Amino acid sequence: MRTDSKRWGDPILVATVAPLAIVMLLFFIIPLVMTVILSFQTTQFYRLSWTWDLKVWTEVFSKPHYWTIMARTVAMALVCVVVCVLIAFPAAYALATRLRAYNAQIQILIIFAFLTDAVLKTFGWILVLDKSGVANWLLAHLGLGPEALNLLFTPTGTMIGMVYGLVVYPMFTIYLSLARIDRDLVLAAYDSGASRLRAFFEVTLPLARPGLYCGAVLVFVLSLGAFLEPKVLGGGTSPLASELIRQSFETRVNWPLGAALTLVLIVIGALSLALAAVVLMRGNRGRTVQ
Amino acid sequence: MIPERLKDRFVDIFLVSIVALLILFFYVPILTLVVFSFTSSRVLTFPIEGFSLEWYGELFRKPDFLPAVANSAIVAMISTVFATVLGSAGAVAWIRYRFRFQNIFRAVSFLPLLFPQLLLGVVMLLWFSVLGNWLGFSTGLATVIIGHIVYITPFALVIVAVQVYGFDETLEDAARDAGATGWEVFREITFPLLWPGILSAATFAFLLSWGNFYVSYSLAGTARTLPIFVYSGIAVGSSPIYPALATLNFIPALILVFLADFLRRRALKRQKLAPA
Repeated sequence: MRTDSKRWGDPILVATVAPLAIVMLLFFIIPLVMTVILSFQTTQFYRLSWTWDLKVWTEVFSKPHYWTIMARTVAMALVCVVVCVLIAFPAAYALATRLRAYNAQIQILIIFAFLTDAVLKTFGWILVLDKSGVANWLLAHLGLGPEALNLLFTPTGTMIGMVYGLVVYPMFTIYLSLARIDRDLVLAAYDSGASRLRAFFEVTLPLARPGLYCGAVLVFVLSLGAFLEPKVLGGGTSPLASELIRQSFETRVNWPLGAALTLVLIVIGALSLALAAVVLMRGNRGRTVQ
Repeated sequence: MIPERLKDRFVDIFLVSIVALLILFFYVPILTLVVFSFTSSRVLTFPIEGFSLEWYGELFRKPDFLPAVANSAIVAMISTVFATVLGSAGAVAWIRYRFRFQNIFRAVSFLPLLFPQLLLGVVMLLWFSVLGNWLGFSTGLATVIIGHIVYITPFALVIVAVQVYGFDETLEDAARDAGATGWEVFREITFPLLWPGILSAATFAFLLSWGNFYVSYSLAGTARTLPIFVYSGIAVGSSPIYPALATLNFIPALILVFLADFLRRRALKRQKLAPA
């Protein structure tokens, strides 16, 4: 890979960088800054008053109700990460090693499913998980008990929806890591007497670690904002942070509160990103001796 | 003791069945919707009572979903163009150039991908509301389009970046040696070689925008795109028209994905033949 060093006077550099940079600055960075500013304002009679105040933040930190919901959100996100990785790793491994011939076809099948309308797919899950839905009918006919399984409007329903929506991300990142592994390294391990299992744990797995961590963090961060699944499949029985944020905007018309709660989630996500980055860097440093 | 070969077979079967099950999992809600779209009953229970096209008929007798489709189409087309152009240009800068503040540029242009869409929507809503108060506008299709561009551009960027990464620069050098100007090199070599990636990025962008709920929901104001229409419909209770609407919605996406893949493969084949 060749890279050209360019100075800021270069028109080609300006043409490729500036438009994107300006869009992201105007509509992503400034909005973030605005969110921070808004969280220090207050409302009076449902109208924003521009006075600097810590009122909203003290409310956020003092109400246990908020903390229960935040903790539940993080717990759901962690479970989602574990389930997604447990599914995604073997699938990505199979794609990278056993199913190379069908890779293109499988990828199209997955991409199509990933890109179709999320609301419609969630509605599809209602029809599957409902008491008189597909899942219960199947279970009854497989002889797994006639007792109707109530999955809709439970945290399990939410979790199925979240895993469904997010499992593609770790699958993709892990696949990319695995596909880049030099096959000779694994063969060398065999030559020096390692069993398949040992070669997997000592060669393949460590080399797949970047993809594994990236995928896990992506799932974690993205599941913090899950809204459709807890609302539609969970039936709002155990609300997550998204519901709290939506309520503070729509029902309570309290923008500063909404902004503060949004920032709490962003900070949790950012910390987990930073943690993953540190772990990855440390792993790399350990391996440079090779 | 199980023989080694047999053990390997088991591992193979296990791995392949995981992928098969996963694909099945991906299609469970999609196939369910297709099956339910042909039910003759008003109540959505499984197994369905009988087959009919009643609900497709109902859908077109009362086509109140059409304005939402029109809105979705406008939003998707405009944001696809912007996201693809911005993402492609950005991808070239990402991979090929080294410059001051490069890391800041990389972080800022990639970060929306790591952002839960709901939060992205909320953060932008706050900004547009404050800005709207000052400048006197309210949220609507225009803000949805901007939201989609911010959300989708990083996806387009990553897809094109993969193409740029595998790019053979010696072809550009050869063209330059043969006397081509900078613009000619771009038109005859660089752009055609990046085209498969740009095409995939555009398809991805269009479908991501078409099916986007979170960003639209936050920024639409009173405007309605198709996912918002469906969401407000199913929030009230499951009506039998939605499976039919879903099934109709899958068809163009299916065609688009296969078309993009066909074109991408043809372009790749040409690319492989070209240097020979």
